[in-house]
Amino acid sequence: MPGLRSSPPALLLLFLLAVPRGSRAGQALEPGSRSAAAAARVALQYRNCQAGSLGGLRALGQVRKATLKNIPESGHKYYLQFSTEDYRTGEDAGNCLATVLYPKKKSRPVVSIKCSHTKDQKEIQEEDNRFYQRIRHQSKPITANNIPDSYGNIEPALEPVWALAVAGSSSIMWEKSTETLGYFLAQVKSVRQWIRKDDFLEFDYTVLLHEMPTQEIISCHMRLTWLPGRPLKVKHFCASEGHGAEEGSGAESGSAAAPSAEKGASF
Amino acid sequence: MGFKRPQGTVGMQKQFSPLTMRLPVLLAALVAVATCTKTFVGHQVLRIIPQSDEELQKVQELQDLEHLQLDFWLAPRKLGLPVDIRVPFPSLQAVKAHLEATGVSYSIMIEDVQALLDEEQREMLRSSRQLPLDTTTFNYDAYHTIDEIYNFMDMLVAENPNLVSKLEIGRSTENRPLYVLKFSTGGTNRPAVWIDTGIHSREWVTQASGVWFARKIVQDHANNEGVASILETMDIFLEIVTNPDGYAYTHTTDRMWRKTRSRHSGAICVGVDPNRNWDAGFGDAGASSYSCSETYHGPYPNSEPEVKSIVDFVKSHGNIKAFISIHSYSQLLLYPYGYTETPAPNAQELHEISAKAVAALSSLYGTQYEYGSIITTIYRASGSTVDWTYNQGIKYSFTFELRDTGRYGFLLPARQIVPTAEETWLALKVIMEHARDNIY
Repeated sequence: MPGLRSSPPALLLLFLLAVPRGSRAGQALEPGSRSAAAAARVALQYRNCQAGSLGGLRALGQVRKATLKNIPESGHKYYLQFSTEDYRTGEDAGNCLATVLYPKKKSRPVVSIKCSHTKDQKEIQEEDNRFYQRIRHQSKPITANNIPDSYGNIEPALEPVWALAVAGSSSIMWEKSTETLGYFLAQVKSVRQWIRKDDFLEFDYTVLLHEMPTQEIISCHMRLTWLPGRPLKVKHFCASEGHGAEEGSGAESGSAAAPSAEKGASF
Repeated sequence: MGFKRPQGTVGMQKQFSPLTMRLPVLLAALVAVATCTKTFVGHQVLRIIPQSDEELQKVQELQDLEHLQLDFWLAPRKLGLPVDIRVPFPSLQAVKAHLEATGVSYSIMIEDVQALLDEEQREMLRSSRQLPLDTTTFNYDAYHTIDEIYNFMDMLVAENPNLVSKLEIGRSTENRPLYVLKFSTGGTNRPAVWIDTGIHSREWVTQASGVWFARKIVQDHANNEGVASILETMDIFLEIVTNPDGYAYTHTTDRMWRKTRSRHSGAICVGVDPNRNWDAGFGDAGASSYSCSETYHGPYPNSEPEVKSIVDFVKSHGNIKAFISIHSYSQLLLYPYGYTETPAPNAQELHEISAKAVAALSSLYGTQYEYGSIITTIYRASGSTVDWTYNQGIKYSFTFELRDTGRYGFLLPARQIVPTAEETWLALKVIMEHARDNIY
């Protein structure tokens, strides 16, 4: 809707209508609850990759309201209202209403999300164009490692490349998320640019995802293409073995087949 | 290097730059050379201020005598302006004789260039990351290596021998010492507070905060404010690098390493999660029996020397009243239990303390924390530190998860170290004060 500046009454009404009432309504969750925050994060990961925008990337602020409903034959559905921050600057970026359905059958969460914004579309488009130009105007193909580095530094010249990684890895994290497994981008391990004949930007990334609650570090390879105003195209492949796999002192005894990091541990 | 200018060059300095300002630059250049090939033992720097055209000409003639290997730091320009010449040792006699014979007066600016270079080098090493001179020049806004942190501890003890002592409570798997700082104003086996940071090695903001806490305790005591009142009746124990093998590994090999570096027979992978290795619900749901897992509990409780040493210390001390174990990230304040849903007997009290601590933390920079029991707030976890300490009777057992909530995660920018430590300290004080005021 054009001219959306803050959570208007119309959206709120939609939310209230969407939230089931009465005893079969579903349970209200504490706004501070882990599962509410995790679901909100998944909703934002979905939005961050769908939007295909670097200037519009958002991080979770605070969950204001959360409800959980069990949809028989379908799965668990979260109804959420939360504030967001600009991913880069931390400034208030507006509020969102979202639903997140974790299907009973193992497949990606189903997300619907609608957000107000503090920056208007034109501003965001200009930022995206600036990011785009900064990458385009490099004299040679970009290659880099460890973004941020061990000390949390991101070289200013590599900020656009990092923002692209956030957007791209959001798609991986959304797809992998379940009601019990959530993800954070821990680090961009490496990045390499492929120069194309057309205007699209193309990159190969190796990203490290931090999986919760297992604490595992998952290494994923990601190939993405982007043009401002177009959705991100992401292909990915994640290693199933945790990053700590190295030789110890002998054959494993006790536990059965080594669980792949893709599954949750005993939580 | 130096100031060899081709004959007849214009490009003389328009402005007089004092030797003192130029000295460090030139010395640095010399140091660079000195460390490679040359030595400047016995070289001197002479200063001549020509008072007449004749004197000026005599000095200019020196420039032509290539075999003397003179290095003009300030070339001859005009009357009254100094000429500085580095004279190699073999040429010293000849040059001085020449100047004296022609009546040109000179002074010795530098008696021995090499001695000055050596001093400069020592100074450079000291002011680099290697060795700060004292805890005032230590850089709290940066992440440090184990050696730097261990050096910091020694400096802190040396500067405050009546307040701080260093205890070695054991050795890690790779035989690194496990050091605990003890802050005490006296007494015998006073009731005590324990704080540990860095049990998970990749959580760098925690070790860095531990360093800041150590200095803060000393400062408060010196200024008779903050925790000075707590130190009147209680001791504080602080283990900053609780998992030194892991920490070293995050510097040399894998920044994301979490566990210890132990190798147990029958285990495919290296390392045990030190926060699943305690004897509280050990091996129950909430830890992994697979050695390659990040939450591997180990072959048996206290299999890790890093854990066993704390267990032994706590048991033999016998008078610890509050125990706080610090992690990152997630911005949470947690209390027992993690291995069971049964509430801790004084969960209500712990909840109230947490509310107060979190409010204090938030008051500084607005950082938002959630709080509650481990199992309800973060996830089920068995064999965790504070579940064991709580079951030992340490009523005020807490775990922190510091900044942030995922934007940088483990790779928290160094500029956030001090703000994180400052706000966390406010929460720690609430817990310590409560323990002091509710002695049991």
